[in-house]
Parts: sequence; structure tokens; C-alpha cells
Amino acid sequence: MTNTDTNRPVDEYVEAEVQRLLTEDGRISEQGLTVSRRGHTLILCGDVESVQRREEIVRLVREQFPGIDLQVDIGLTRAGAPTEAEELS
Amino acid sequence: MIRIAAVGDVHIDKDVVGRYRPALDELPDKADVLLLAGDLTRHGTEEEAHCVATEFGGLGVPVIAVLGNHDHQSDQPDAVTRVLTDAGITVLEGTGTVLEIAGVRLGVAGAKGFGGGFAGRCASNFGEPEMKAFVGTTEKIADSLGEALRALDCDVKVALTHYAPVPDTLVGEPLEIYPFLGCYQLGQAIDSAGVALALHGHAHHGTERGTTPGGVRVRNVAHPVIKAAYSVYHLLDDSETAGSTLAAAAR
Repeated sequence: MTNTDTNRPVDEYVEAEVQRLLTEDGRISEQGLTVSRRGHTLILCGDVESVQRREEIVRLVREQFPGIDLQVDIGLTRAGAPTEAEELS
Repeated sequence: MIRIAAVGDVHIDKDVVGRYRPALDELPDKADVLLLAGDLTRHGTEEEAHCVATEFGGLGVPVIAVLGNHDHQSDQPDAVTRVLTDAGITVLEGTGTVLEIAGVRLGVAGAKGFGGGFAGRCASNFGEPEMKAFVGTTEKIADSLGEALRALDCDVKVALTHYAPVPDTLVGEPLEIYPFLGCYQLGQAIDSAGVALALHGHAHHGTERGTTPGGVRVRNVAHPVIKAAYSVYHLLDDSETAGSTLAAAAR
């Protein structure tokens, strides 16, 4: 079975392949995202640094795993200045 | 009081240059130094390192960094280090540096660190050459961190790594991957040297606060964990600072 077979069931192997794709594909290179399954749905969760990176993740996962039920729960890291400091004295 | 700003895992590339600048422009009002806990780039290329230099260079406060595993992806950590160094960023790897802040000498020693796991559940230096190379790398890096920390001649010591020195700050990550997120040997190195604060990144789903077995406070400053451009930690209250200054003057 290859990555481009359509309508693959979302099983452990798809989960493993997607997780490796997210890290090992140089267009993504995200190690800090979690991949999980709920029923027949594959869920991507975590934070990335830009909207473009999130869009590229969705595009590549859909391209490599066409037809899978995918839920994308990836947010953008917050880059505001902190409002408080922690006192460690 | 010493005010330390820190963040890790910023994964800078050209698509995010400028994203941190509004918060960084406020940094000199909030902190005396910025520590970067590795994974500064996405793939560890020179081009990305230039983006990091653009984003974190010329802040008006000293910037001290360690590299992370992403910064090694293109097998050119020396080139990345050179670009950052040329931009005025101090890059540590088994080395340390001392700054004087408000009359207090702040020593920072750092290393990327490595995986291996935590006490009772860790990899051993045994068996196949690949396994021995893995754990040997863990040990070598932790040893170099310990030596650099102990060699610091200063009033307050901070340890900076990319990988985690304790499992406390990994809570939220799957247990199965803890051995890829850090190792107890880094904690042991930190506990050997009278460190006031240990900062690390790498664990995006982890927890901000932890403590080494020796009682050193550990903070995971991975960007997704701290949910801000950086965190700020205040070390020493004013009376301690004054006492330290007096002690230094008496020497």
C-alpha cells in the first residue's frame, strides 16, 4: 500500500506515517505536533509559527493521504510581550 | 535583581521574520538579558540563521543561545553558530559566559543536551555501536555542561539547554517519547554546580515549571508552552543583590 492510495482507513499505520511526514518532510519539519485518532478521524494538534506553515501541513497531508477524514486543530503560537514576570527570589 | 528573558523553539525562517519584533522592542524595559533555548531555525541553514540574526540581533541587551536539534538538521551547526556570533549573539556549547548586571556577575553555561531518558527508565551505554553512540553522546554533552557550569566564576549561575534536564517539565507530552526529550544526566550536571535556574525548550506540549532532584528550579521556555514571545524571570531580590555586591566588594 502506498501513501497515495485513496480511502485508506485511518489506522495506526496512517497515524505513524503522518507523524513522520510532519517531521521528515522538509517543507514541514514540525516535531511538536501531535497526531491522534478519534473514531475514523485523524486529528492534528499543536501550534506553529505562521499561517503559511499550517496551510502547507494541511495541503501535504491531504495530498499524501487523500480521502482521509482530517481534523486540523493547529493554532498559531502567541508572540506578544509577556505582561508579568515570575519572581524566583 | 537580575531580569532574565527566555524563549526556545522559535523556529525562525523568512516567513516569520518580524513577528517577534514588537515584543522584542519592549524587552530592554523588562529584562537585562535574553536567553534562547535552541531550535532557533527550522532546518539549521545559514539562510535561516541570518533570519534569526535579523530577528534577535541588536536588541539592546545581551543575547545568549544554545542550538537545538533543528539547528543541526542541515549538518552545519558551525555555520549557524558563526552567523549568530557575527550578529553579536553568544552561542554556548559546553561553554559558559559571565555578564555583569547591576553589580552582580551572572554566569550562564549552556549546551544543546540530548535524549536518553530519566532515572530508572533511561537508555544504557550497552550493546550495539549505535546504542553506545547514542548514550555516549548524552554523557559527553552532559559532562561538558557540568564542567562549564562548575568553571563559572560568578555570583549567580543559570544553565541553558535545549533538551530537558528533568521529566517534570515534560508533563503533557506522551510518556513514550520522554527519552527523546531529555535525560537525567543534564539534571545531574546542573545539580553539581550550585545553579539558581535551569532553562530549556524542546518539549512543545510540556509544562513550564519543574525542579531538579537537587532543588534547582527548571523552566521549560518552549514557545508553545510559554504562550508569549518570551518569559521573564526575576532572580534575587534587591536585598540579596545588595548583599552579593557587598560580598563581592569585600573580596
